Amino acid sequence: MTEISVMALILILCITTLGVLDQYSVQMGFYSPLFSGTLTGLVLGDIQTGLIVGATLQLMSLGIAHYGGATIPDYFSASIMGTAYAVISGNGADYGIGLAIPIALLLTQLDILARMSHSICKHYMDRCIETLDYRKVTIAHAAGGATWILSRVFPVFVGLVFGEAVVSAINAVIPEWIMSGLQAAGKILPAMGIAILLKYLPFKKYLAYFLLGFVLLAYGDSIFTILAVAIIGTALALIHYHSIANLKAAPAAASVDDEEVEIDE
Amino acid sequence: MSRQLSKKTLQKVCWRNMFPFQWSWNYETMQGSGYGWVVWPAMKELYGDDPEKMKEMLRAESGYFNTTPAMSHLIMGADLALQEELGAESKDMVMAMKSGLMGPFAGVGDTIFLAIYRAVFFSIASYFALDGVPFGLLIPIITGLFIIFTRYKFTFLGYSQGKKLASEFADRIAPITECASILGLTVVGGLVASVVTYSLDLEFVVGEATLSVQSYLDTMMPKLIPLVIVLFSYWLLGKKKMNSTRLIFVLLALGMVLGNLGRIFGV
Repeated sequence: MTEISVMALILILCITTLGVLDQYSVQMGFYSPLFSGTLTGLVLGDIQTGLIVGATLQLMSLGIAHYGGATIPDYFSASIMGTAYAVISGNGADYGIGLAIPIALLLTQLDILARMSHSICKHYMDRCIETLDYRKVTIAHAAGGATWILSRVFPVFVGLVFGEAVVSAINAVIPEWIMSGLQAAGKILPAMGIAILLKYLPFKKYLAYFLLGFVLLAYGDSIFTILAVAIIGTALALIHYHSIANLKAAPAAASVDDEEVEIDE
Repeated sequence: MSRQLSKKTLQKVCWRNMFPFQWSWNYETMQGSGYGWVVWPAMKELYGDDPEKMKEMLRAESGYFNTTPAMSHLIMGADLALQEELGAESKDMVMAMKSGLMGPFAGVGDTIFLAIYRAVFFSIASYFALDGVPFGLLIPIITGLFIIFTRYKFTFLGYSQGKKLASEFADRIAPITECASILGLTVVGGLVASVVTYSLDLEFVVGEATLSVQSYLDTMMPKLIPLVIVLFSYWLLGKKKMNSTRLIFVLLALGMVLGNLGRIFGV
């Protein structure tokens, strides 16, 4: 099972790195399970298996995306490992697909960990802004990219060097309550971003509009989308704008009236 | 009127936004820290001779921001145009514009650039691949090049529109900022209900019937839990000893509890 040449391993890690860089930038395709599986198959000399594993995982995950920074099962790395296991063991594409699904779910956590570790970068960047140190800000920003690459390259490396036994071993070692706790935390953490944003906006002054936006999507999410809420928000903003304009216009008109009254007398 | 941005700087910002923009994505400011890094050369060009102003703007630009990466070009273009016209005076207006636009732009952008785009081009390529034809992979590569071109154009479209906005409304910043805040807060209220997706996974079996706690909460008020968690976080952030890093651990602990309610209650 561990018969994978050093050259092939290095090439696969390069594919992984390229995929991560693509994932968080222009998404040309290298980030997708389809590409990662196919390219892994190409490296290992069995492009057909790579195509089938990759395409199957791609179609499974079509509707899933990192909407708003949500973490999703890592079908990208799973496609690499699934293809590699399928090719090396000679058990065929279905075997690889079967292994890839639990791997994808298991690796979900690493994306959350990477995103959490970026808080360190964020605070360092904030400090460097105070000294206007561009070099250090750039390094911290790049460190974020590096942890992201590591979060995919490391499991692929371990998975390919130690084989599929490691996957079931890890699944057995990590208690289930940690996994479900991390999943719940992933769903809760966006609340923090929103709370921080509210600190920057005149939240208390315009609480009414916040409540309105919330109610529209909490009760009406079958009818409304965030775009509808934005249009309603625009309408409210326009109403507010006109009422300010009227307030300004009104006293001016009143004073003109007063003068006319005086002239009449 | 402050200094002007050269086309070269705008292009530089555009490419930085295209590739390494999201590297420092984090749960506190999301894309915000990266946004600050991306616009740094432009800030330097505009406020290079006034370090205090530059810091102030960089602090503001590094605040919470999150949208579809492809759409961020439009917002960034408009942002820079406003600052070029109005200087650091535009800070509140820029902040309000960014938070007002990112939500709806993400709504449109995620649908077009993530969901629809992927469902069309990647599924076609996948069907080719299932038949053992690798050349299908060229399809997303070609459309990807088109996306890069579109994103490049978006930067300058946002810039020209932002210029128009700035010159027409230069004397009306305060009311516009207020209105943008109203739009922003309405959208953020909606975000609470749509982005925080946790729901109670707790059921009690009483005889034949299964009682789902979440469905009871839903009849009382849907999305109550996300609202409570957001308001709780907001309240915590106002506490002296609380910062966003500590808040992560609070929410993590909360997640550990909420993710294991079934185990805790032994059902």
